[in-house]
Amino acid sequence: MAVLTAAGRRAAEGAGRGGRTTRGGGKRATRVPPVVLAFVLLPLLAEGFFVFWPALQGFYLSLTKWDGISAPQFIGLGNYREMIHDTVFHTAMLDTVLWLALFGGLSALLGLGAALLLQQERRGVGFYRAALFLPVVFSLTATALVWQAMYQPDGLINKTMSGLGLGSLTHPWLADQDTALYAVIVPALWRQVGYVMVLYLAGLKGIDPALYEAAKVDGATRWQQFRHITLPQLRSVNAVVLSVIIIDSLRSFDVVWALTRGGPYHSSELLSTYMYSAAFQSLRLGYGSALAVVIFVLAFGVIASYLIRAFKEAD
Amino acid sequence: MNTTPISPTGRRQFLAGAGAIGAAALMSGCVASSSSDGGSTSQSSGGSVALQSNLSSPQAKTAMEDLVAAYNKRGGAKAKLNTVASETFRTQLPTYLTSANPPDLLTWYPGSVADAYAKKGLLLDVSEIWAKGELAGYSDAQKKLCSDSSGAKVFVPATYYWWGVFYKKSNFAKWGVQEPKTWDDFISLCKTLKSKGVAPIGLGAGGDTPWVASAWFDYLNIRVNGAQYHRDLLAGRHSFDDPQVHKVFDKWAEVLPYFDPNGTALAFQDATTAMLSNRTGMMLIGTFFADAAPKDQLDDIDFFQFPIIDPSVPVAEEGPTDGYFASAHTAHKDQVLDLMSYLATAEAQEIYLKGSSGTALPTNPKAKDSGTPLVKKGRALIESAADVTQFFNRDSSDALQPTADTALTKFLAKPKEINSILTAWQRDAQKIWSQ
Repeated sequence: MAVLTAAGRRAAEGAGRGGRTTRGGGKRATRVPPVVLAFVLLPLLAEGFFVFWPALQGFYLSLTKWDGISAPQFIGLGNYREMIHDTVFHTAMLDTVLWLALFGGLSALLGLGAALLLQQERRGVGFYRAALFLPVVFSLTATALVWQAMYQPDGLINKTMSGLGLGSLTHPWLADQDTALYAVIVPALWRQVGYVMVLYLAGLKGIDPALYEAAKVDGATRWQQFRHITLPQLRSVNAVVLSVIIIDSLRSFDVVWALTRGGPYHSSELLSTYMYSAAFQSLRLGYGSALAVVIFVLAFGVIASYLIRAFKEAD
Repeated sequence: MNTTPISPTGRRQFLAGAGAIGAAALMSGCVASSSSDGGSTSQSSGGSVALQSNLSSPQAKTAMEDLVAAYNKRGGAKAKLNTVASETFRTQLPTYLTSANPPDLLTWYPGSVADAYAKKGLLLDVSEIWAKGELAGYSDAQKKLCSDSSGAKVFVPATYYWWGVFYKKSNFAKWGVQEPKTWDDFISLCKTLKSKGVAPIGLGAGGDTPWVASAWFDYLNIRVNGAQYHRDLLAGRHSFDDPQVHKVFDKWAEVLPYFDPNGTALAFQDATTAMLSNRTGMMLIGTFFADAAPKDQLDDIDFFQFPIIDPSVPVAEEGPTDGYFASAHTAHKDQVLDLMSYLATAEAQEIYLKGSSGTALPTNPKAKDSGTPLVKKGRALIESAADVTQFFNRDSSDALQPTADTALTKFLAKPKEINSILTAWQRDAQKIWSQ
């Protein structure tokens, strides 16, 4: 949109100038300069080739049976029909919802909490902010490897627990179906909280201090200030945080793959890991593509509906 | 979606390309990205043969470099080695073979896996080099293993290794126990070890090596039902919920209480450490585990044959063979054949074994192995076997392996649910076979 309006304005300016110097330049005025056209069309072409075309191909693949070697075989909605009866798909779907709720919900809550705690400029607050943000800088795959070592049967976590006299609670965390998914959420959360905190800090900085002063004059309690000033003022940041959380939840893959590969026996399977293993381990690229389409529809659906609502409220 | 306007070949090529790009993007993002260029399918430049290798562990990689250097020193055709991280190689192999510019020669496995690619016309027929030179002197078993289902030779073997129940000699002496021969001996050995406060059987099917559990399934199946039944089962000619397969798991359940409770939590490297530090008594593993063991401990390591369960079943062993196949679309057919004949020579295999950890065995009957007592015992084990199986994924396909991983880890955690596990396994396997 920005490109289009800028281009339009420049074209209009050109027309104005043309009108002054030559007569009867009306025809030329409507013509868009080739440079402008190139600025619009080339990125569109690149976007089309690298984004839209593969996306359409992915959708087409989801309607086929393809092993990556022979020619894809068109089977209509067969892959989607299979999903309805695929218990692993059901597990992956449920786990993804659980992931969205736990990973998304907790990272939003903890991120907001950390931002509120660390918003005031005090001595040493920069250190704490940096410490919380630091995990974001690390590669999640590398992070996961460290966590994997800690989760080992004789790793740091179990050793610490035995040391504290909680030996009965020690556990092969990643190898037990009851704990695997939660054990994977923790490192993901550890990283995401810092990221969400920074988003909220930026939002908190943007709130006019005069609002708080006015509230104080009116005798509002801290809770009332938070409830009636901070939260409403953070609405635009909330939209960003929500989008980020949903997208990050649905594309969470690296940490799960590095820690459990969706196992043991699919108990920590997310849609993203199931898509990967269906496509590149079982070499069922058609079914994998169908799962990718489902992920796309979910992400797009949730975000689009939220954005539409947000824009309506803004109007 | 309208699909008619694009010609099938054009679309296929495009899809292959799109798949490669997508896969490469995924790989670089997530799976332990290797330093080597995993996505590229390096076509040889000029006259040299591009050899794409998955032997990425340090010792094996150096050994391959030595081997290629020795070949290049001979004059004549030249080869160029491109080593790719093994996990990347595995997932990218179909892309390598179907790309417009495939690598000329690739490391992989013979048997059913190679046949699957040969059936799609992706592998070079190398029957002519098998008729002469040192390959003509290879055993009939090797000749059969390296042929596809139409009888053409598509593979050149280089090394093989064996699986066995490995243990520490000093520990067995300390505990006063002997190598078992039969299943009953084995169970009483487990009982004795457990009474001494050791977890008798280490596994190593956790982390990123869940496939190690398949060794137990393979061995129990070839001991209870025989090698032919095993191969037929893996090829989809029997069902995983057959009563015969139930019998395999009944036997497994008898020794399940003696497995290390951390068996599905530790990768085989960590399980090796657990055995070497006396926390577990023994483990069923292939000789590749020696790469993860400290050198000074190797002399203390010995193994015994997987115990015999039914004496009427011909004794088969797992002896996975590694080697090379060539792309059918190579532009350097003559050079490739020359290199493949060289790789089959005793000279080439000895160069490789000298550089690597030395626990593998050469496939060339004239080539010398590393000569340690362990290797001699291993060679005798395979040579005395009535039949040799490869391994679960090699006797079926790489795509079937994850179905086994799921079923077997679930069995190890919930042995009582065996009926539903086997039904689910058959359903998952059916999806792969019908692919």
